[in-house]
Amino acid sequence: MKSAEEIKDFTRFIADYATSLLGSGVHTSRVLRNSNRIATSMGLQIHMTTFQKSIIMTVADADGTQVHTEVLEIPGMPISFEYNSELSSLSWEAFDKHLTLDELRLKYEEIKAMPRMKTWLLVLLVGFANASFCRLFGGDLGAVLIVFLTTMLGFFLRLQMQKRGLNHFIVFTTAAFVTSLTASSALLFDATAEIAVATSVLYLIPGVPLINGVIDILEGHTLIGVSRIIQAFLLVLCIAAGLSLSIFMFQNSLL
Amino acid sequence: MIVEIIMDGLLAAIAGIGFGAISHPPRRAYLYIGILAALGHSLRYFLMHALQVDIAAASFCASIVIGLFTLWFGRITYCPMTVLYIPALLPMVPGMYAYKTVFGLMMFMQHLKDEVMAPKYLMETFSNAVVTVSTVFLLALGATLMIFIFPKRAYSMTRK
Repeated sequence: MKSAEEIKDFTRFIADYATSLLGSGVHTSRVLRNSNRIATSMGLQIHMTTFQKSIIMTVADADGTQVHTEVLEIPGMPISFEYNSELSSLSWEAFDKHLTLDELRLKYEEIKAMPRMKTWLLVLLVGFANASFCRLFGGDLGAVLIVFLTTMLGFFLRLQMQKRGLNHFIVFTTAAFVTSLTASSALLFDATAEIAVATSVLYLIPGVPLINGVIDILEGHTLIGVSRIIQAFLLVLCIAAGLSLSIFMFQNSLL
Repeated sequence: MIVEIIMDGLLAAIAGIGFGAISHPPRRAYLYIGILAALGHSLRYFLMHALQVDIAAASFCASIVIGLFTLWFGRITYCPMTVLYIPALLPMVPGMYAYKTVFGLMMFMQHLKDEVMAPKYLMETFSNAVVTVSTVFLLALGATLMIFIFPKRAYSMTRK
């Protein structure tokens, strides 16, 4: 038997936990399972409805005499697989070791405070990735070099724009335009320009919401799955828009 | 042939790790993301160039193999399956087809009144779009299938 205050306290924690998971790009059923696992370890039950932007959560004790409901907004945050892994592990730890709420909170804050990769290293890695992608598509050395440089420029631009809280669609369109425009400089050199332009924008592809959307739909969370896929599809359209602006300017030389 | 397959795998590993870094995976996952990306992409290369399998079917096979290995690697690294296989699938996105779809659409608009070229560009746009969409869909489906076939294992990867 838990007091109303305890249940309220727990609901606040678990709602925060679930929105963090949803915000960092975890598919719905995993969020539900993780949250349920923690609740079970405390002898409570959870009922949860998730949408793209908010969740509704009701927590009850075992016999259903104490009930508390929270509605929380899902924060817009960058995708983090690290949160996905560590927070999932935390739910198992709670389940296996019956952690108290205070212990849980401490570990949760620890995970949330984990340092992220340095920006310069991230930009460099993405540059290398897109350059080798260009090589996979048969680009020559000139094209690979140009893609390496333009990707770093475009990705850095994207990070800066996102930091300033610019609209997602504008960020993606601008980044795609700038990257493909600078990649068109391959036309000036004796390089496989078409491949350079085509691969330069591929680092923008929203793979995570796309695959999460497919998983959600297949698992019956159709609404949130479809909204994830629509979001991803709109971003792909933005990439195409930015890219076609560059193509428009250089189409005769790209033919 | 063998040298080409190995080169293909190496490049895919770099691509997978780099694209994966955007989603901030835990540090212990990088090595396995690289291995999965290399495995999948070089298998697809082999299927497409040695056995003349089409890009959609070859991607599907590669994606299934990535999913199978993720069942194993996820347990070693305590990572949920999606953390490992989403970055590993990204180097297989059919970028040239996607580009040609956009390019074809642009050219179609430019030649609307040209009776010979307009249908040609429209046809090109459509066939490239079909290849892009079906390949991406099969990529997503192949690896995800393993979650549905082995749910118990897939759902307890992060249990220490």
